[in-house]
Amino acid sequence: MSESSKSKSASNINPSPTLQCKDLHEYLKSRSPQFLETLYNYPTICLAVYRELPELARHFVIRLLFVEQPVPQAVVASWVTQTHAKEQSKACEALSELSVWQEAPIPGGLPGWMLAQSFKKNLKVALLGGGRPWSMSSSLEPDGKARDVAFLDAYALERWECVLHYMVGSAQTEGISADAVRILLHAGLMTRDAEDGTAVITRAGFQFLLLSTAKQVWLFLQHYLHTAEKRSLSAAECLAFLYQLSFSTLGKDYSTEGMSNNMLVFLQHLREFGLVYQRKRKAGRFYPTRLALNITCVKDGIAPLEAAASTGYILVETNYRVYAYTQTTLQVALLGLFTELIYRFPDVVVGVLTRESVRAALRGGISAQQIIRYLEQHSHPQMLRSETAGIRTSSVLPPTVVDQIQLWESERNRFTYTEGIVYNQFLSQAEFGVLREYASRCGFLTWHSERARTLVLTRAAHDDVKRFWKRYSKSS
Amino acid sequence: MADDDAPSDSSLLVIIVDTNPNQRYITEDPKVLTGCLDAVIAFANSHLMQKSRNQLAVIGCHFHKSEYLYPSPGKPLDVRQIDGQYELFTLVEKTIKMRLVNLIKSQPQEERPGESLLAGAMAMALCCIARMRREASPGLRLSSRILIVTGSSDTAAQYINYMNVFFTAQKQQVLIDVCSLDKHLSLLQQGCDITGGLYLKVPSLEGLLQYLLWVFLPEAWERKELVLPGRGRVDYRAACFCHRELLTIGYVCSVCLSVFCKFSPICTTCHTVFKIAGPLPIKPKKKKMKI
Amino acid sequence: MVNAMKGVLVECDPAMKQFLLHLDETLALGRKFILQDLDETHLFISSDIIDTLQARVDDLMDQLSFPIHDKGL
Repeated sequence: MSESSKSKSASNINPSPTLQCKDLHEYLKSRSPQFLETLYNYPTICLAVYRELPELARHFVIRLLFVEQPVPQAVVASWVTQTHAKEQSKACEALSELSVWQEAPIPGGLPGWMLAQSFKKNLKVALLGGGRPWSMSSSLEPDGKARDVAFLDAYALERWECVLHYMVGSAQTEGISADAVRILLHAGLMTRDAEDGTAVITRAGFQFLLLSTAKQVWLFLQHYLHTAEKRSLSAAECLAFLYQLSFSTLGKDYSTEGMSNNMLVFLQHLREFGLVYQRKRKAGRFYPTRLALNITCVKDGIAPLEAAASTGYILVETNYRVYAYTQTTLQVALLGLFTELIYRFPDVVVGVLTRESVRAALRGGISAQQIIRYLEQHSHPQMLRSETAGIRTSSVLPPTVVDQIQLWESERNRFTYTEGIVYNQFLSQAEFGVLREYASRCGFLTWHSERARTLVLTRAAHDDVKRFWKRYSKSS
Repeated sequence: MADDDAPSDSSLLVIIVDTNPNQRYITEDPKVLTGCLDAVIAFANSHLMQKSRNQLAVIGCHFHKSEYLYPSPGKPLDVRQIDGQYELFTLVEKTIKMRLVNLIKSQPQEERPGESLLAGAMAMALCCIARMRREASPGLRLSSRILIVTGSSDTAAQYINYMNVFFTAQKQQVLIDVCSLDKHLSLLQQGCDITGGLYLKVPSLEGLLQYLLWVFLPEAWERKELVLPGRGRVDYRAACFCHRELLTIGYVCSVCLSVFCKFSPICTTCHTVFKIAGPLPIKPKKKKMKI
Repeated sequence: MVNAMKGVLVECDPAMKQFLLHLDETLALGRKFILQDLDETHLFISSDIIDTLQARVDDLMDQLSFPIHDKGL
């Protein structure tokens, strides 16, 4: 048992914490049940939450969707084969965490499950119809200057890269508002320079750049929602609108009619980051872009719906060579974070992954996983294609390279640190036993040795243990 | 290619709806068709709801032709939301209903409704799957399956076409699921068994949507985790090529493996001439020599 | 009476533990930092030494590895 508690607390002393990117599930989990309750009044959110659930949980929900009474927990358990009990309990846990279902007693005393009323109602609305239309679907005259998908893609890419370029302090610094800068600062991706007050990129910022675009947008918006609450924008309303956008059709125009003032402000912000396109501020219509549609693809392993042209440009060979077909300085700079660049041509860069270059990145707080994911996400279509002929591995990169990057990381982590307090010099075996018993019951115990009569407990436990020890010494 | 074990990124479901007016449940009460269609549409939308990348095609199968009900060829309908339903779901519902009306209107009036062209519709579905696979972006794991919802009765007239489709599907790793609304369908059940799909005869049409959602919504790799109706015994009798009757014992052409219920000197499929016209002569027993 | 000390529990492989003991004995980091030797794979050390220690281990790993890479220059 000491093993598990160690790994949990080990990360907080790690000198360079890695950037956390929560998906929707984790984001919602950290919110209060009341907040969730208001969210489930929006069919869009219900739909998004449903898609975020584990597979089994999704089937549970759909099976319970048309059932009005609570269903015994034993019945739900019997839907899953014995060999997959672990997945089943995980699914149940996820559903409880997000208050999608609640425990409800069944006449006869058996414990049962019942879907949350508002969730059930609004998921049905999204699936089968009924209820009020979403806010942006008022009918529109056909747009005289309709924009096609290619235009929207280019627009979104340009706007988003503007934000990224600002972060790395490239030449282009215009076109980013004070609000966006505030969000970057709030997220800890940039920080004010101590001397002249200009914003400079942080370590977390570099890690942010390595994420996929969909994740970047989502992380950014998450912090936007945090700051939104301070500006009297309702986070629930914003989130609902955001998911509404993500369920819209690319290349179609939507009306701003009937939107509240707050939402119009929010729309202007989204326009700035390239999530929606509007010709004029008062145009009365807007086009969602691919950035907005991709918000639902944040989870790992789901390939984003990116346009074929803008994807992959990196080739990785088994000899650790990296070829990147790119012209943008941003991508070259990112690659330079963990590769040693050796040649630079007008539209291709050649680099090599070396121990030094990767270690430099690791020292900068970038994790091996982030490097690997970055290379995977931007793999050239040729890399993806070559894989289908041969053996299927979990990664499109050469296995040697993946393993080596991980080995380089693990050689730096030969120690696991756990902050704690050591207790020794117990007078008797009995005293030692009592304290060990108490600590393990409360979950404080990290390490113990019977022979040396030594205990290592977590740092936070000290006051509690002291009190317990006083009580114990008095009574005995 | 689809892999049964690994979770797929995207799942393609092709639903074949039998709309033949001579199905028993329709001749008894034509209104039931609307109910069944609503259930199928709700099921189709539930499939799209599972994952944002899931894909859907619906094929209507009539007695004179089969046709795509969704996606409609050409430009999609311009649909605006009318209520709280997800726009895409509204589009699916509208398109299917509109195209089905067209399909039914186009049926020849003078002809008496014949058998549903299920084998042809399945072939269309396989073509659709092949096209989607070709067009899928590299690296995307696409799993595909076909669901047949039919109330027609079993006939062996299309036996060869069925078998061709089943084995193609097996080779392409496409699952065939069958939901029978009326009678037991032994031929289609063979198809399910060959391709690893599920066969279900719905006990009543009332809760059709629930049956569909419970049994046919999980993908191939999810089905292992759930308790679902078993395969049961499959009737593997073959139909003869001459009279399309199901046989237990028959004559088989030694060249092309065609099955016949009566002996014929020339195989009608591959035109092989069998030299021995009569019963085989009994060979004299060999005597063992003692040394 | 029970004695309590604040610090950091370190878990590592036996070889690395010996290296830490060596650093402690030779005062390579300027002072002694091991508070208690617990067992084969566990040590209890003072928490303010970690950064220096990590750098020192990085140096050790650098000395141990030989670049065999052909950069193809």
